[in-house]
Amino acid sequence: MKSGNNFNKISVWDEDAARHILARTLFGYTKQDIEFALSHTLDNFVDNYMLADQPEPSQPGYWVNDPTNENNTERTRELMYWWYNLMLTQGYSLRERMVLFWHNHYVSEVSKVRLAQRMYWQNKLFRDYAMGNIIDLTKAVTIDPAMLIYLDGTRNRKGTPNENYARELLELFTLGIGNYTEQDIQEGARALTGWRVDGITPYFTDSRFDEGTKTFLGQTGEFNHNDVVDIIFTQPAAATYFCRELYREFMHVAIDEPSIETMAQILRENNYELKPVLSTLLKSVMFHTDEVRGAKIKNPIELLIGSMRQFNVESPDYVYMRKVAAQIKQELFAPPNVSGWDGDKVWINTTTLPARNVFTDAVVNGKKPNGSNLTFQIDLVEYARTFSSSEDAVQLIDDISKIFLQFPLSENRREYLLNTLLDGAEVYDWSTSDPLAEDRLKLFFIALMRLSEYQLS
Amino acid sequence: MDRRSFLRNLGMLAGAGSASMALGNIPLRAFSRSFLNIQAVNGKVVVLLQLSGGNDGLNTIIPMEDSLYYNARPSLGIKKEDAIQLNYLTGMHPSLQPLKGLYDDGMVAVVQNVGYESPNRSHFRSTDIWLSASDSNVVIDDGWVGRYLAKVLPDHNPINPEHPLAIQIGSTQSSLLECTCQGTMGISFESPNQFYQLINGSTADNDPPPNTIAGNQLKYIKEVAALSIRYAEIIKEKADLVENIATYPNTRLGRQLAIVAELIAGGLETPVYLTSNGGFDTHANQAGNHANLLSGVAQAIEAFQTDLRLLGIADKVVLMTFSEFGRRVIQNGSGGTDHGTAAPLFVIGRNVYGGVYGTNPDLSDLDNNGDLKYKYDFRQLYATLLTQQLGMPLNRMSDVLQKDFETLPLISENAGTLNGPTAFQLEQNYPNPFNPSTTISYFLRIPQAVKLEVFSTAGDIVTTLVNEYQDVGNYNVQFDGSKYSSGVYFARLDSGAYRKTIKMILVK
Repeated sequence: MKSGNNFNKISVWDEDAARHILARTLFGYTKQDIEFALSHTLDNFVDNYMLADQPEPSQPGYWVNDPTNENNTERTRELMYWWYNLMLTQGYSLRERMVLFWHNHYVSEVSKVRLAQRMYWQNKLFRDYAMGNIIDLTKAVTIDPAMLIYLDGTRNRKGTPNENYARELLELFTLGIGNYTEQDIQEGARALTGWRVDGITPYFTDSRFDEGTKTFLGQTGEFNHNDVVDIIFTQPAAATYFCRELYREFMHVAIDEPSIETMAQILRENNYELKPVLSTLLKSVMFHTDEVRGAKIKNPIELLIGSMRQFNVESPDYVYMRKVAAQIKQELFAPPNVSGWDGDKVWINTTTLPARNVFTDAVVNGKKPNGSNLTFQIDLVEYARTFSSSEDAVQLIDDISKIFLQFPLSENRREYLLNTLLDGAEVYDWSTSDPLAEDRLKLFFIALMRLSEYQLS
Repeated sequence: MDRRSFLRNLGMLAGAGSASMALGNIPLRAFSRSFLNIQAVNGKVVVLLQLSGGNDGLNTIIPMEDSLYYNARPSLGIKKEDAIQLNYLTGMHPSLQPLKGLYDDGMVAVVQNVGYESPNRSHFRSTDIWLSASDSNVVIDDGWVGRYLAKVLPDHNPINPEHPLAIQIGSTQSSLLECTCQGTMGISFESPNQFYQLINGSTADNDPPPNTIAGNQLKYIKEVAALSIRYAEIIKEKADLVENIATYPNTRLGRQLAIVAELIAGGLETPVYLTSNGGFDTHANQAGNHANLLSGVAQAIEAFQTDLRLLGIADKVVLMTFSEFGRRVIQNGSGGTDHGTAAPLFVIGRNVYGGVYGTNPDLSDLDNNGDLKYKYDFRQLYATLLTQQLGMPLNRMSDVLQKDFETLPLISENAGTLNGPTAFQLEQNYPNPFNPSTTISYFLRIPQAVKLEVFSTAGDIVTTLVNEYQDVGNYNVQFDGSKYSSGVYFARLDSGAYRKTIKMILVK
């Protein structure tokens, strides 16, 4: 049965549905998380947990209000660790997932923005509007200090426009190629003039603003930055553009235009409020169909944070994780360019895939490849005993796989994992009390997380 | 005889451990030079250097006699006195000084005004166009290198399956090396050592994934896993065989090119390498930034060419730069330049005919956006590399580039045997001695500005026979000596960068 463009609510809310929704909205999940989700109705879980407004987290440090560039490298790292921790401890909210989505949509790079605190305030903006109104977010981003600096808005002034932000606003942030002209970029840039940044504060200077008449996307007037955004969102292409990105984020890369158009319709009808379209999508038959499960390649942050949550690690080694994140090409606040991380297959190549494997080995071993210890050690025997099937090797592999894998295990893979766990012993000899159990679990988890299937969500 | 059968004949492939990679007691390193001549492919290598962000062509190759250039760039324009002169009309950014020696040796071709019809000014779309070699209005998902390696190379060159077909130095992987027909044709890594260590302990997994969306994703991941395992060992082995001789700048690009040189010298039979250098999106404060970028690139290339020469492999390798677009003619209000269109690029190597190909951009004939019009389609350069460097038959061009493109006379084994200027040749005059007139013949391999002058032994100019921009071809010029007295005269052909003189004797 073709389930594309089927936005009816699923009729069965079961373990498989819960696993799928958790895998796609959180950074990793546990057995307890599945139980929690299933103790609520689907509506209740999605609308009152995933999409619920969340309290503002405390700031990473007093320094976020300091306009100087002191200790910028340290502060950027602190900011990363702070965000890693929010992702790990956010409970059942979709919020941090959306903050990362927006970071990869309205892209800025700290190398050019220069101050970690500007990245913090931009990050807070993404969190404030994480599941809010896209038009309001776009207006806020347009005069956000990090963005003004990143795309040269501060250099865009009357008489000598700088097109950088105007171009990317249309091309990458709202409409996409084909829905505007070079003329619109030039005129849009004029309307966006006048803004500068003092430390971490944006300000407007009348004399730098081009108050003349502009013709932008077919409309003519003495437009300013807010007008530019409002006019953009009168274009139907805007909703389509955002929904295509949401589809890629939550479904998979096999774009289905009719489904995207249905989502875009919901977004337009709700004046670009995100919650209705997200709520519909996450409960839909289309989202929960078999072919969507396991069809996304995990981004590096999902892999890193996800492995911590899967093992219930409370104090991860964030320093090591940051280094691995750089190797596997997703350094927060340092996307490769203004279009952000390409995602999907681009995550996986002959360098990053082996590096992902080395990371999961390290998590299981409690040791980095150079032999030094991580800041935490996972007690694998204790972890195995959190499963009621801990003494039944075959069942245990199935139960653990349901936490670690979305892609169904083939018979061959299951047998390979069982042989790895038993390491020569007979299946009835398996016991977590065996003195070799820990070593066997180590081999098993290394093998499990080295499966290509583990890279899929 | 290919390398494998060579080794087999020596008994090296027979036993375990290949006699610990040594012939008798002599370490393999000592033999590395002779292995170089025993390659399965034609042994030629293309190194692509991607300058990401849109390199400002007008400040790379300077139209230093054009007032329109200086009007458009009041503060950014590179002054004539600062530019490195390439010919009478054309200069080079002073930061490219490290390339001057290579240029004087006839190893650097500057191809002007490279671009395509209906230029796209989006970084991403234009990069895709360059990588996929598509028309502006056509979207192609794979790369021209990937298509060549998958569809054409095996037909004209035996492939050594032990060696990767393409290597990208870095930890991302470009769509350049993809072919929709087969998937990725290349591998990427930061360094041979790191790559080897990462792979250690991996095992291949041959379960066939189902034909679903998820199954296809899984298939891709498994392929990457298998590729990594397959090549990690040979790459480390080849890199360990040879050491760089030249000193490279300690920059990302310097390290990338150092690795490429080692692998080629070590005998890796990979025909295509991709290297890259980012940061060229100079919307603001361009002057200093761009100077630094260019000098970084020039230093790395200079070291690479020196290394290739010292390692004895200079005649194998051609390097070409490219960037998704040049920049707007008029500088913006931020001391920078916005996205533009056509731009020059460099083709560098011992077998390259050096010189400036094409005139300076015509700044009085811009498109309606105020941008440059292209003269050479970028795919002409790909066609040139494929046919002249990698030996692809001309009739296979459309399999890679969708249609046929005219090549440029850029690369030849012959170029490598010439010393000094290769952009032109000046023949001995005929007859000689002469009375009263003689014919001076020369051949221009590339279009260029030339001056042909006759001097007396005292060094005074007797007459100027030619002083103009001339097209490729043979030229015969008469020198009439009836007004002059008997004696020795010198005819000098001068293109600004290159000069050659012949001696003529007038006997009345």
